[in-house]
Parts: sequence; structure tokens; C-alpha cells
Amino acid sequence: MSTGLFEIGADGVDAQRIMAEIQATVAAKMQSGAYAGAQLARAERFNLMNLKKDENFFDFYMESLREAVFIDINDFEIRERRATFAPLLVRIKKSIWSLLKFYTYRLWSQQNQVNGLLLSATEEVDRKYRDKLKTLEDRIAKLESNLHPG
Amino acid sequence: MATPPRIAFVSPRFSEGPTVGGAETLLRQLAERLVARGWQVDYLTTCARNHFTWENEIPKGEALIAGITVRYFPVDSGRDMDAFITLQNRISRQAEITRDEELVWQRNNVNSQALYQYLKTEGHRYDRIIMGPYLFALVYFASQIHPDKTLLLPCLHDESFAYLKTVREMFMYVAGWIFNTEPERDLAQRLYGLNLAHAHVVGMGIEEFKTDPVAFRKRHTLTAPYIIYSGRREPLKGTPVLLDYLDVFRERTGIDMRLVLTGSGPYDPPSRLIPHILDLGFVSEKEKHDAMAGAVAFCHPSVNESFSIVILESWLAGTPVLVHAAGDVMPYHCRKSNGGLWFRNYPEFEESLSLLLAKPALRNAMGEAGLRYVRREYAWKTVESRLLAALS
Repeated sequence: MSTGLFEIGADGVDAQRIMAEIQATVAAKMQSGAYAGAQLARAERFNLMNLKKDENFFDFYMESLREAVFIDINDFEIRERRATFAPLLVRIKKSIWSLLKFYTYRLWSQQNQVNGLLLSATEEVDRKYRDKLKTLEDRIAKLESNLHPG
Repeated sequence: MATPPRIAFVSPRFSEGPTVGGAETLLRQLAERLVARGWQVDYLTTCARNHFTWENEIPKGEALIAGITVRYFPVDSGRDMDAFITLQNRISRQAEITRDEELVWQRNNVNSQALYQYLKTEGHRYDRIIMGPYLFALVYFASQIHPDKTLLLPCLHDESFAYLKTVREMFMYVAGWIFNTEPERDLAQRLYGLNLAHAHVVGMGIEEFKTDPVAFRKRHTLTAPYIIYSGRREPLKGTPVLLDYLDVFRERTGIDMRLVLTGSGPYDPPSRLIPHILDLGFVSEKEKHDAMAGAVAFCHPSVNESFSIVILESWLAGTPVLVHAAGDVMPYHCRKSNGGLWFRNYPEFEESLSLLLAKPALRNAMGEAGLRYVRREYAWKTVESRLLAALS
């Protein structure tokens, strides 16, 4: 966030202006890829219902989903919150993990296949309806131009 | 000497103790204000305390509480819960249901034949009857008894229940409506095409208070910055969104931002966020206000608010708010007051919170702007004059 912006004017604070600046900053950062990835898709999982009227955000969400769809279960650190016996507990957890790894990997690869298929289906539905809307809009424009020639 | 006006309030629960919602608090506060003016006020309610079980926990009869004659009536037994839940789920999913099915849902909702009978025989003695919130069958059926003197205080949200045919009918046959804010009134106008001559925006007055944020931090050994949320924790209030956003905020920015919660309800945060949440549960008003005063912002992620007492309290504590943009009411308060920012998605949340954290002067200025707004719009004197206009 730029620190040169958002100064308090003589008339006090203007929340609408600040929001406009924040939204411009967000748009620029999204363009540059600063807001992308699995984290973002995770953050929005409960917010999607509130975004159904926001078409731009749907594109952004799909982009985040594309980056998050293939999960990597190697991507976590085995930790222990309790201080007592922490090194021992971490070793036990690691041993359990090495025993379960084989079965977990099978589930994981199948889950990745399902995720990939679901994403493709969602993209296809999105594309289909966009095409359909475009066709209908073109048709309306054509009909309107026929109604009001010149 | 002229006889003082006689007013009845009707609501499924009477606000006593910490377990009731904002609508009940609002109705009780308005009732107390009328009592203070020397009016005779009855509050007709059920014997239930718990809004999940609706068990009759309070003995039926009457009690004088803060000058209000509270009349408790038992909730009807024999509800067909299967039919009720099946229809409720269909309504929530916005599935098409017939008016007859709506009536089955209303009849198996919270009802009290004893209360209806009382209104039928004694209702003529009241000059005005104020009822709310709109979502309960108790209000739907009670409003049909003396519609010519009934004012609906709906606490309306843009949700599937607001689109029911029976709800529309109720809005159409009562004598008038008391709304909490202009956006709530506009929503009702959009949904039901109301005659705005009978629509009044009243709201609730908020008393000023003193805070001690330093003592709060000391009591809870809090040194890191924190945001706060007070109220019920549930998906409808947006709690899961707040928990996920804060978790990702901490991960992305590396800032040790904590979350202080007051209120009730289960929630399921990401496991790594758990150590960074201070869950105080139910606390005294003083403790809640101290906690608000020490926060970077009060964060309200709900999109279903018709008024939001807590954000007004946060402004009285001098703290700006950060609210979800998808609701109508809270962004309206923020725009009108300049006391808060709003977010539609995670990136806007991160930028707004980072800004408030990085700029204490802006934070203070927004808190002060909010404080001025509450003093101007929600001082009791102002609210009372709007209430009297609605009742005249």
C-alpha cells in the first residue's frame, strides 16, 4: 500500500475517496499477479455467495482456482504446538506420515484428477454461457438496429 | 389530565440477559423510552428464552420490568418440526413454494394461541401495536388481529424469507412500518412497493460510554494489534469469512494481527489461527467497549444486517469499522459517517486493514468521524423524536 495516498483532507476523512484509491491499488496489484494463488481461493471459499453479482471477481476467483486446483500434499511442515516433548512428538508424527504416505498419495492423485475435471467443467459452463450471452446481445443489437435504421 | 397513550410491543422474546438478538434489544429500548415519557407500555411475548428450542422456560403471567408490563404467553406445542424444517430448507434454497406451503411453514413456526387470544380480546385498548421482527409467524399472525393500529418493525434483510408471499401480504395490510435505516426502507419499497408516507426510519439510540483500552490490553496481556468482532458467530453473520481472511492476512503480510471475539456461538477457525484468537465469550458492556476501543478496527463481515448496533458502539469507542460491502446497511453507515471502510473480497480486506494499521492518524480520524455520526443521528433525543413522529 502506498503511504503517500490517503491523507486526511481539511474537511476530514472521505471514505468513498479512500475506497476508490484502495480499489485502484487492488486492481493494479491483481493485474501484476500480487493477488493470486491457492491462499486467495481458500480465503474466498465462504465469500463466494456474497460475490455472485460481481462478474469481475468471478474471473479473479477462477484464476485463483486454476492455481490452487492441483494440491501438493508434500507442501506442509510437520510441527508440534506443545512445548513438552515437541521433538519426540514431531518424530512420531513423521513416522506415522511415512507409513500412511503410500495410501494418502493414491487418494491425493485421485482427488487431483477430480479437482481438474471439476475445474474444466466449471470453465466450460462459464465459456458456454458467455458465448450464449454474446450471441443474444449481438442478436438484440441487430434487431434494434433493424427497428431504428440509420 | 389526558390519559397517556397505551402502546403494545409484540415480539417472540423479551430482551433479558445476554442471549437475545439485536431486534429484541431494539424493541425493549424503544419500549423503555416510551415508559420514560409516562406512556403505558405492555410487551407481549412468549415464555421462551432459547431461539433454537423455543421451550417455555419462563412462567406464563406478567412482570413489571423497567416500567414495562411484560406479559408472557406460552409457545404452542405440537409443532410439526419435519414439515417446518423441510419447508424452511426449501425457502432457504429459494425453491418455489406455494402460498399454502408457506402457511404450513408459518403454522409450524413459533406461535402462541394464548397471545393471539389476548390481542383479540384486549387489543382494542392499545393506541398502537408495534411488532417485529418480520421473520416469525408470531408476528405474521398477530399482525392480522388489529392491522389498522399495527406498526411493523421488520428488521428486514435481503434474504429468501423476505420474498415470501405471506410476508409481502403482511407488509401490505399493516398500518405502517418502522425501519432502522434508509437502506432497509428502500429494500422494503423495492420488494413490496410500499407507500412511503407510512414508512418511518427510526433506529435506536446509543448511550455514550467511557473506555479504558490500556486496562483491557493489560488484563489480557495483549501487546499485538488486533481486530474485534462482537456478536453471534455463525455463517449468516460471516464469521467463517472473517476467520479465513485473517488467517490469510497473517500468512501473506507476516503481521501478527490478532482477533478478539465477544459473544456466543461455535466457530471453526483454521487450526494455525487458534492461538491468535482471544475469545472472551459473553462479557460485560464495559469490557466489550474497552476491547473495541483498543482495536485497530471493528470488523463486521455480515451481509445481513438491518441496523448493526455494534458498529455504532465501535464508533462511540472511537474505533473505525471494516465491513462487508455486499450488505446494504453497513456500507451505508460508513459512507454517511466516513467512519469506516468496506471490502468486497480478500484483496480489499488486506489493503484496507493494512492501511488502517499503517496510519494511526487516519484510524483516529475515521473513529472520530464515526463518533460524530452516532452523536448526530443516534442520540436518544433524535431517535425519540423520530419514534414519536412514527407513532403520531
